[in-house]
Amino acid sequence: MNNTGYYSSHKGHFFISPWIITLLVFWLFPLLYSFILSFYATDVIRGTSQFVEFQNYARLFNDENFLAALKNTTIFVIGTIPFTTILALIAAVAINSNIPLKGLFKTSLVIPSITSMVVMALIFSHLYAPGGYVGSLMRIFGISPPAKGLLLSETTALPSIMAMDIIIAFGYYMLLYLAALQNIPRNLYEAAELDGAGAFGKFRHVILPHLKPITLFILVINTIRSFQIFVEIFVMTKGGPLNSTLTAVYFVYDAGFVKFNMGYASAAAYILFILIAVFAALQMKVFGSEKGAR
Amino acid sequence: MNSVLAKRTIATAILIIFSLLCLLPLYFMLVGSIQETTGSSLLNFIPRSLTLVHFESIFSSSRMMRYVFNSVIVSVSVVTGNLIFSTMVGYGFARYRFKGKELWFASALAVMMIPPHVIIIPLYKLISTLGWYDSYAALIVPWLVNPLGVFLMRQYISSLPVEIEDAARVDGASDLYIIFRIVMPLAKPALAVLAFQVFLTNWNWFLYPFILTSSDSMRTLPVALALLKGYQSINIPQLFAASTIAALPVIFLFLIFQKQIIAGITSGALKS
Repeated sequence: MNNTGYYSSHKGHFFISPWIITLLVFWLFPLLYSFILSFYATDVIRGTSQFVEFQNYARLFNDENFLAALKNTTIFVIGTIPFTTILALIAAVAINSNIPLKGLFKTSLVIPSITSMVVMALIFSHLYAPGGYVGSLMRIFGISPPAKGLLLSETTALPSIMAMDIIIAFGYYMLLYLAALQNIPRNLYEAAELDGAGAFGKFRHVILPHLKPITLFILVINTIRSFQIFVEIFVMTKGGPLNSTLTAVYFVYDAGFVKFNMGYASAAAYILFILIAVFAALQMKVFGSEKGAR
Repeated sequence: MNSVLAKRTIATAILIIFSLLCLLPLYFMLVGSIQETTGSSLLNFIPRSLTLVHFESIFSSSRMMRYVFNSVIVSVSVVTGNLIFSTMVGYGFARYRFKGKELWFASALAVMMIPPHVIIIPLYKLISTLGWYDSYAALIVPWLVNPLGVFLMRQYISSLPVEIEDAARVDGASDLYIIFRIVMPLAKPALAVLAFQVFLTNWNWFLYPFILTSSDSMRTLPVALALLKGYQSINIPQLFAASTIAALPVIFLFLIFQKQIIAGITSGALKS
């Protein structure tokens, strides 16, 4: 009954005014301003800006650094999200089975995801350093780690940061999967058992279809998050070595706050914004299409 | 029966491995922060010596305490603001009928999809124009009303019975009295979830505090930690001790309010 509102009054606008102000001043205005800025070139020395139409955008697509940043960010997103999602699902199914110390396991997996990324990145910098534990572990398996350390070699720096991100992030998504699993009515399992379904059959026909909406949600929020990866890069590699870990938000930061070309940086930010929107929409289309039929 | 046992064993084994992956890095940090000197290897499974000297040096450094103080001020202010404003806005959405209501509410949902890092440049310009650059205002004011808070509080207040408010109104209670004395106490479970989420975000936040401040005395703990990494003035055990101080409050709060927090996070996700 309250969805349409109980008291009818102009006071409603007064009560929601904090949100209206925040929305207009700190969200919509920046979003619009950023769009306008992206058509201006900033002259750092003279401190002036000039309208340059689409030149910033044209320059970006010829900028090696920007293309490297887009490539690395896409590799990061495509290379981490499937692992994060699958580990989250495995962990949730394991915790949902009847085992001792469930609560302890659940807490352990969530802790890295609520810890400051700066702190996690500092710790992993040491784990990945020459003589660090990760290098030693690799030697046990007969792989020799790069002498300079995993973060200073072009081939291993990005994968190392990706591996760290998966470990830090999956516990949070496990919580979401766990809640969805606990929402499945018990009698569905029983019905499947009566039909002669084994463990795998139950997983395939009962659990998986039920997890589709939450999987879509996890994919979308993780995509939005992963496209914006910045802190790890800033703390661990500053985009190096040789641009091998340069990501899109790091590029925006560098163009805007190191090189002070705000117009150019805004154009890069807008391209990233569009890219994120397209990726999220694609996922909704691919994974959300059968939702209505169910 | 054996297959059940096998399944449980596999599940337990997987979870032990996952837990080690998640906890060992933080364990190394703890051990690193209570060792006397570093020597050649920085990370050890078992501390070679036990000392709290690195924590003492942090608590006695006025510079370090300033970072901690800044983090506390910013997080507590933003959390308090969100509790008050989200209740107010949520109440407006839940109990009043007014023009454009659906659109304003939809805007909160839409904003949650805007990647915050994408609007960093215009926000920086706006903050500079307002004269807030390098001040607490820059770190607090833009984040006082969180779209997630608007969403959570509207949902929660809509589910509360309206009769109590009606009775209070008949007794002559004002709107503000109803919001802060009647609705707020009833909405405690939702407010706890909101408080933790907002605290978590602000306590750990890096990019915005980093971009919107420049002087050392305005740095928050995560920003200071990231910038201190390369300095000679701090040794690694001290850096780990400071990292421990940055990590512990969130972990403690999570351990205490785990049930409510998990319920809050997941109920929001399952609904949307």
